[in-house]
Amino acid sequence: MISETVKEEKKLKFGLFLGCNISFNRPDVEQAMRKIFPALGVEIDDLVGQSCCPTWGTMPSIDIVGWCAVAARNLCLGEEKGIDLMTACNSCYGSLNEARHKMLKNPEIMSKVNEILAKIGKKYEGKAKCRHVAWVLYKDVGLEKIKESIKYSLDGITVAVQPGCHFLWPSEVYPDKEEDPFNPKVLRELCEALGADAPYYTRLIDCCGMGALRSTDPEKSFILVREKLECIKEEIDADLIVTTCSSCLIQLDDAQEKLRKEGKINFSIPVLHYVQLLAICMGFDPQQVAGICVTPRDEIIKRILEGGKR
Amino acid sequence: MESGVSSVINLTEVAKREKEEFGKKVSELIIEFGAENLLACMQCGACASVCPLARVGFEWYNKKLIKAILIGMKEELLDDPTPWACVACNRCTEICPRQVAPFEVMFAMRRLMVEEFAIPTLAIEGIRSLYEHGHAVYMTGREARKKVGLPEKPPTTDSDEKALQDLRTILRNTKLAELGLIPME
Repeated sequence: MISETVKEEKKLKFGLFLGCNISFNRPDVEQAMRKIFPALGVEIDDLVGQSCCPTWGTMPSIDIVGWCAVAARNLCLGEEKGIDLMTACNSCYGSLNEARHKMLKNPEIMSKVNEILAKIGKKYEGKAKCRHVAWVLYKDVGLEKIKESIKYSLDGITVAVQPGCHFLWPSEVYPDKEEDPFNPKVLRELCEALGADAPYYTRLIDCCGMGALRSTDPEKSFILVREKLECIKEEIDADLIVTTCSSCLIQLDDAQEKLRKEGKINFSIPVLHYVQLLAICMGFDPQQVAGICVTPRDEIIKRILEGGKR
Repeated sequence: MESGVSSVINLTEVAKREKEEFGKKVSELIIEFGAENLLACMQCGACASVCPLARVGFEWYNKKLIKAILIGMKEELLDDPTPWACVACNRCTEICPRQVAPFEVMFAMRRLMVEEFAIPTLAIEGIRSLYEHGHAVYMTGREARKKVGLPEKPPTTDSDEKALQDLRTILRNTKLAELGLIPME
């Protein structure tokens, strides 16, 4: 008699790449990841000694080899353990994968980077990459497992999704790609798995105006975020904005309050990173996984916890 | 100039002077700094149609910057903040039918501006913070981390002196050290 083969589940393990904004500005996003992933069977490695990705205004603006060298040291921390990195910050996702793409495409860059890395006893082989947490949830964990894991659902709640620029473009450099990067579906499906409506709206793929644009010219940056917020309000009257990017999170949450104070908008829509929303739905303490915001979240969290019990 | 005689520009002289003043042509520098496919641009404007900077009214957005570089402008561009406002979103790279990667042109322009020390103070602060702490965005206050139940220090260079020294060693072996933008002891 042939013994029944036990379906062996592949053990998922990733290096948790935090980035600066999540470490210092929005550590509730970090806490949300530390709660949801182990509960979903994904092991987390801390990647002790990780640094800034490096973000766009630093080494990428100085020199390509220098950019790649800083990125490669971070990627090495995963590669040495045979694991990929994962991040909840689109800027980190963009910078690390752009750098990896440049190194893989151009052996001269790779060899110059490894000459530098040799000085600290490291070598990057190009194996480890950086995944996005939303893609890990979508592809590796899967929508079914997410549906099974939640204690509260979002029935009757409409969310406006904000995937953010570096979740999508340039698709060539990313390990996971939307079927049509100008019509993204992944975040909508992830929100629908929680029971929410996640309709299309005209400015769904528009830039939030964060980052270099905001530090260079806040006024111009606010044009973009205002247009986006007004579109969300007018077209789908969302109860909640859900993003996969820590920069979009900060901008949509923070700039919204500034626009209200200046009398430019007269509404308030709470903003959450998807990992925070999932953590709330899984029953983790909202104070820990979503306790830091400028635009109030109390009402929507109360509504989820009271109304959505499964 | 003698009166009555119209001014004649001696192009050979201008070209010679420009060569002496600027060395390489701007387009050559931009290609060298990472925009390998610059010359493939046919000015179709697809990049401008999706560029957030073009939409909110920055002067030298992708398509226009490329044109300016191709006709040899340089001094006019050095004081302009546009490249530093680029969010690196790469909509332009995705949509370009000629694989120019206008994002690379924007960032090559930044790299050229850095060589001319036309770099915003905020960018220098970010670079200094990267070297000092390993984080471009760094905050000494840790109330937020404590509030959500996390250790005060994240498991980054912030809590790992050896890793921070490694990062500094890397940075000291890049072009950053040659430029002398920040103190690097």
